[in-house]
Amino acid sequence: MQSDADFTTRRYEVRHRTTYTYDDDVTACYERGFLAPRETVSQRVLESSAVVTPEPALMATHVDYFGNHSSYVEVRTPHRVLDVNKISVVEVTWPRAPVAALDEWTVASAAAWVAESVDPLTRADFGLGSPLVTLSPAVASYAALALAPDRPLGQALVALYSGIYRDFEYQGGVTTVRTTLAELLELRQGVCQDFAHLAIGCLRSVGLPARYVSGYLETVPPPGKPKLAGSDASHAWVSVLVPGSPDHWVDLDPTNNHFADSRYVVTAWGRDFRDVSPLKGVVTTEAANSTLDVGVDVIRLP
Amino acid sequence: MPQHAPTGDLQGDLHGSTYGDLYASYTERLRARGGGPDELVGGSAESRAVLEAAIGTLGLPGLLAACAESRRLIDEDGVTYGVTEGVADGSGDDGSDGGGQGRNWIVDPLPVVLAGAEWTSLERALEQRALVLDALLSDIYGPRSLIRRGIVPAEVVLGHPGFIRQMDGLSLPGPRQLLLTATDLGRDADGRWVAFADRLGAPSGAGYAMATRRITSRVLSSLHRSTRLTRLRPFFHSMTLALRESAPAGVDNPQVVMLSPGTGSETGYDQSFLAMLLGFPLVEADDLATRDARIWIRSTNRADQVDVVLNRVDADYVDPLELRADSQLGLAGLIEATRRGAVAVANPIGAGVLENPALALFLPAVAREVLGEELALPGVAGYWCGDSAQRNHVLRNLDSLVLKPIARGVGMAALPGWELSAAERDDLRRQIQDRPWAWVGQESLTMSTAPVVTSTGLEPRRFVLRTFGVARGDGYRFLPGGLGRVAPDEAAYVVANAAGALAKDVWVLAGDEAAPSWADDRKLDLRLVPGADEGAALALRAAEGLFWMGRYVERAELTARLLRVADDLIEDHASWPGTPGAAAMEVLVDTVIAVTGAGRRLSQGLAPRSRPLDVVRALVSDGAIPGSVTHAVRRLVRGAQEVRDQLSYDIWPVLSRIERTLSESQTHSQSQAHPQSQLDHVPLQPQLYRVLESMLAVHGVIAENMVRDEGWGFLDGGVRLERALLTTSLVRASIAREHPPIMDGQVTEAVLEACDSIITHRRRMATGEGPALPADSAVDLLIADETNPRSVAFCVIRLAADLRLLGDESLASVAMSLLDELRRADLEAACAGDRRGLVELCDRLDNALRDLSDRLTATHLRHRTTRQVPLADWSKPPLGAGG
Repeated sequence: MQSDADFTTRRYEVRHRTTYTYDDDVTACYERGFLAPRETVSQRVLESSAVVTPEPALMATHVDYFGNHSSYVEVRTPHRVLDVNKISVVEVTWPRAPVAALDEWTVASAAAWVAESVDPLTRADFGLGSPLVTLSPAVASYAALALAPDRPLGQALVALYSGIYRDFEYQGGVTTVRTTLAELLELRQGVCQDFAHLAIGCLRSVGLPARYVSGYLETVPPPGKPKLAGSDASHAWVSVLVPGSPDHWVDLDPTNNHFADSRYVVTAWGRDFRDVSPLKGVVTTEAANSTLDVGVDVIRLP
Repeated sequence: MPQHAPTGDLQGDLHGSTYGDLYASYTERLRARGGGPDELVGGSAESRAVLEAAIGTLGLPGLLAACAESRRLIDEDGVTYGVTEGVADGSGDDGSDGGGQGRNWIVDPLPVVLAGAEWTSLERALEQRALVLDALLSDIYGPRSLIRRGIVPAEVVLGHPGFIRQMDGLSLPGPRQLLLTATDLGRDADGRWVAFADRLGAPSGAGYAMATRRITSRVLSSLHRSTRLTRLRPFFHSMTLALRESAPAGVDNPQVVMLSPGTGSETGYDQSFLAMLLGFPLVEADDLATRDARIWIRSTNRADQVDVVLNRVDADYVDPLELRADSQLGLAGLIEATRRGAVAVANPIGAGVLENPALALFLPAVAREVLGEELALPGVAGYWCGDSAQRNHVLRNLDSLVLKPIARGVGMAALPGWELSAAERDDLRRQIQDRPWAWVGQESLTMSTAPVVTSTGLEPRRFVLRTFGVARGDGYRFLPGGLGRVAPDEAAYVVANAAGALAKDVWVLAGDEAAPSWADDRKLDLRLVPGADEGAALALRAAEGLFWMGRYVERAELTARLLRVADDLIEDHASWPGTPGAAAMEVLVDTVIAVTGAGRRLSQGLAPRSRPLDVVRALVSDGAIPGSVTHAVRRLVRGAQEVRDQLSYDIWPVLSRIERTLSESQTHSQSQAHPQSQLDHVPLQPQLYRVLESMLAVHGVIAENMVRDEGWGFLDGGVRLERALLTTSLVRASIAREHPPIMDGQVTEAVLEACDSIITHRRRMATGEGPALPADSAVDLLIADETNPRSVAFCVIRLAADLRLLGDESLASVAMSLLDELRRADLEAACAGDRRGLVELCDRLDNALRDLSDRLTATHLRHRTTRQVPLADWSKPPLGAGG
């Protein structure tokens, strides 16, 4: 459950280590990833660094189409282990979602406001289907359960995230990047990425632009247990464009059944996962096998 | 376009009636179609006169002969078209993605002739269209103000898969983003040109247009010479300059490459021919490497940075790091290199967003906005379903409109509404209602007809023109005319290469004010490359192709020579078993088997005690046997196709003729209609003679038509290495074996004849020059004589020189030390007694040559065994946040 304490200002150090191990030499490795968090209304970036081993021949960062910090990494030292270690310090203050203000709108009137007042580029980028969010009658009928046109907007958004939380089982290894929303609706199982994609599909189906947010969530160990190193995780949730909110974007997390709070650290956003894949790459190698090891720590600083 | 009676001023009395008859029956067929604009009947007086001259002079038999000649020339030049995609789009109306083998290009001999004035005004309209599209492209990847201000609907751009967000904010240096354009045009009912599709992602077809001109200019050579035509060649020169000038700032002598998805792609011929016309190396992604976010040619011995990429790979596949991770056609880091301004890609990655029938509907508004002008070249009238009123109109008129999705995807094509079943129409209606912004309904375009030569006379078929433009200075220049295509039959609505469309040359008559420019386009200036003196780094793929070409041309030649001698011996001695001649014949057949290394394959294919003639026949025409002549020729042709852009044009007729000869002989020997007994009467000698003649021609082209650069080093190096290896193996298998003296002479003579050294040998024997014994003399001539081009020593010297051309002094010195060994060798002693010494010498030589070959391959032709593979991405991050 969320409490007021979850909306206070706090600082986090986020450590994210990725290790690829190959069974043969990799002679060249090209990567693109989001190695520094973006600034947002709820988040200030105090420090950010990324260390790649072996040392890259080139590392270069630019601001991408969606405003994220996208890095290009080129490693040409032959290697069998590649290590990408990023560390950032952010200050987060996330306000409570203005549910009462949102309830002054209905789903339909909000969609009308979007059509009327939102700039056409934002509307098209986040309102149309995207490679991993295919709009279909199946998605539209699932959306109708929570997002009825005359339902007050705040309640409708709550109904959407809680509906997905209720209807779907959190289960890793069931879905892949290629699982479609229609298949997900059959499976009723998935991970945060799937739930985010489904929520985005529902929102877009009713005319509300929505984006995919990639980042982290601070977790708390079970009572009495120490927090284990590397036990946190990268996370994904949804941001929806609505009237009646100061920033016009409200973040909700169907995986955890609530709106975002100050435990949420943003890395990047886009239309769907494909725009913000945390790290992807191409290697030149004869290796047949590789293994991937990821460790994340979200450490609250005093 | 008013109709005119034939003027007939160019037709002789003899042909007057021919022309009149053909013309009358053509106009009859036109009337039966219900009229409509026609390129012959409606053309200007000058353009009609040209066609009348062609038709009147040749008559139907002559025109049919011209068709046959055109097919023959296409076969010779190896002009092919594959059938998966690309130019296949014609009207963009087929969508069939075929998947079969490439087929020969087909050219109807009658050109479409445009008057200079008509072309000039079309050119102006095309230029304006190109300027508007260029401004639109700059805006789409820049400020996007046309979208923000509602001139262009956002969905049409941002919802199009060709909008590559990774290219946002990136631009080419220079005033234009759209360097190259291609537009498909047809005529409306009033005969006005209408643009119905733009091909801007990676425009293809300019190479085919030039190839088509080369065919037509030869088939109708006298008419072509006597007609004042605007030449095509200067356009390609402009293209070369434009690409060079698009290089990043500060690059003095830019390296331009054409990036191809592979010689096997459907427009593979277009790509390699265009690369040759432009003078740029044709490369595939694995010929390139990314280092420090710069692009380099993976060259054999030096590093050449690439400054400009003329790209023919689909945008989605061009960079596996940023776009499709599973692409093997692209280069990781290409987009980053573009972003950092280290390389210019033309057309820019993402220009394909302009191939968009919905966007075309908004071009008039864009033209008013960016140029303050009305669009001079109309598009096809149409309706964008993103607008509710227009959508309703489309849905009400599904049966009379052509429905097009904004982007062509897999299985998505333009759908002529009137060809759909009720169920299909319902399905389409649903699709439009689901994503209305992604659909356009177009009025069907009338299109003009043009006469096509058929056995029953001239047939009117729908005609489509593809034009090609290139940005120059303030505007655009265009290929005069372009690539014409006509429908595969009289009824077809669709004009698409994949559907069997024929190509037509398009002649633009030079205006009176124009300088005489009707010079023969056949005289291609093959090396018109500014700064060619520097020479581009040779891509690994090209080096490898040239090296193997050299080896196979030599293998085909020497094998053919040996087989010719063997066949002679068989003819003379096969009927006299037990004689020394028959024994010599057997030695020679065994030698051929040893030299070709075909023993095992032969024994699988032939009866245990096959007759020598069967062996020889199989080694000529059985392409399945490695070592056979047919096998070597096929490898040679395949190798040549891989490096088409490196070779003299003269080589293609030679290769295609010999390939045809051999494939005929193979059909011959495999056909059931020819039992063994009959086959024996099909003489081998003429075939072998033709192979020899062709290989000599190839050698001639190599020797006389190619610059002595690195590429030539690989080609000639391949020839010399192969000859040295084969000759060594030949000597070892024949002369080095101990024979009774009476046979020895015959074997030696046969071997010398196969190596074309018999005359020298006889002269030397007669004058007492060189070793006294025939075998010693032969071995000297074939192994050690540095003046005999057929000797191993000569080949080794040449190989050393070739290696120096590759910049490899160390391998060259290895070759020279092999030569020293040869010079020191005591050949007379080696040939003495049982000739075991000669066997040993041959083995040492063979080992040394193979070692050289291995080292050359390892150092210079190291085939990339590594591949680009996507890193597993964090598609499924481990999550502890499950609530």
